[in-house]
Amino acid sequence: MSDCGCDKAKAELEEYLHRELTDEDFRDVKDHLDNCVDCADEANVGLVITRRVQRACIETAPDELRVSILEILDRRAV
Amino acid sequence: MTALTLVSRVDSAEEARILGELDFVAMSDLPTPADPGPDAEAEQIGHDVESEYDLDDTHRSDLSRADLRTLFEEQALPFMDQLYAAAMRMTRNPADAGDLVQDTYAKAFAAFSQFKQGTNLKAWLYRILTNSYINSYRKAQRQPYQNTIDDLEDWQLGTAESLTLQRTTKSAEAEAIDHLPDSDVKEALQSIPEDFRLAVYLADVEGFAYQEIADIMKTPVGTVMSRLHRGRRLLRERLADYARDRGITVPDTPSRSTT
Repeated sequence: MSDCGCDKAKAELEEYLHRELTDEDFRDVKDHLDNCVDCADEANVGLVITRRVQRACIETAPDELRVSILEILDRRAV
Repeated sequence: MTALTLVSRVDSAEEARILGELDFVAMSDLPTPADPGPDAEAEQIGHDVESEYDLDDTHRSDLSRADLRTLFEEQALPFMDQLYAAAMRMTRNPADAGDLVQDTYAKAFAAFSQFKQGTNLKAWLYRILTNSYINSYRKAQRQPYQNTIDDLEDWQLGTAESLTLQRTTKSAEAEAIDHLPDSDVKEALQSIPEDFRLAVYLADVEGFAYQEIADIMKTPVGTVMSRLHRGRRLLRERLADYARDRGITVPDTPSRSTT
């Protein structure tokens, strides 16, 4: 199993997804994912989780907050 | 603890700086209050943040207050929605999130003349936000485990190999997670230990690099990686639980191999 690249890809998948690998390691993992359905599916689950969390966490600050912060700045800027 | 106490403390520190035209080295030598409570500590951390960005002469203290305000409004205020979103995930309610963001901006503006041009303003704001949260809200909550969470074994966190979606394909799992409502995703995120959640949030939602997260959370990069890995593993399991509870089943794709 160790020769096929699965071990390395699995070990480094999080760092791959977060773009924290060196160029060389990144290419190794990417090459493996291009050729291994199981690891590619695993990587896809990781990507989907990231995208899903990003989407769920979008918020808009209330207008009152914006107003009160601007008031603080006004008071302090004089 | 109210927003007002924090604001007034920052005011007095700022006043001292303006009156004495103190540079930042001198500021950090100011006597600390006789009774350093959480407020004082938060303020001191604000100073730590400032002093790190005061290492050369490119700061903005030569700008007028009005110019600083304009610059601050242009550069820092566009992050308000993002900071509020992070504060919502930290405090879990709109009122506290609003107070936290307001504290953050008050401190950031007080320190803005010392902020070094060209460094990462977003990371700087997040650091002030995170410090403020940890030193006020989190202490007030007296949450257990905070100091030991990194030492807990996976089984203590309920991370034993999950049965959830174990027999479906990974592509089905991905699709099920993708179809969960926002409320489930937020609850799942909320259910994981706070330090893990923060690492996941900063990496996945805000896209900070590991080193930036380490700076924001004041912890080594190795700890960030561990928190992120464990946090995401827990999150994945919780999301799968929600998917199963909602009866979301996705037909297996025949051509795909299974685990």
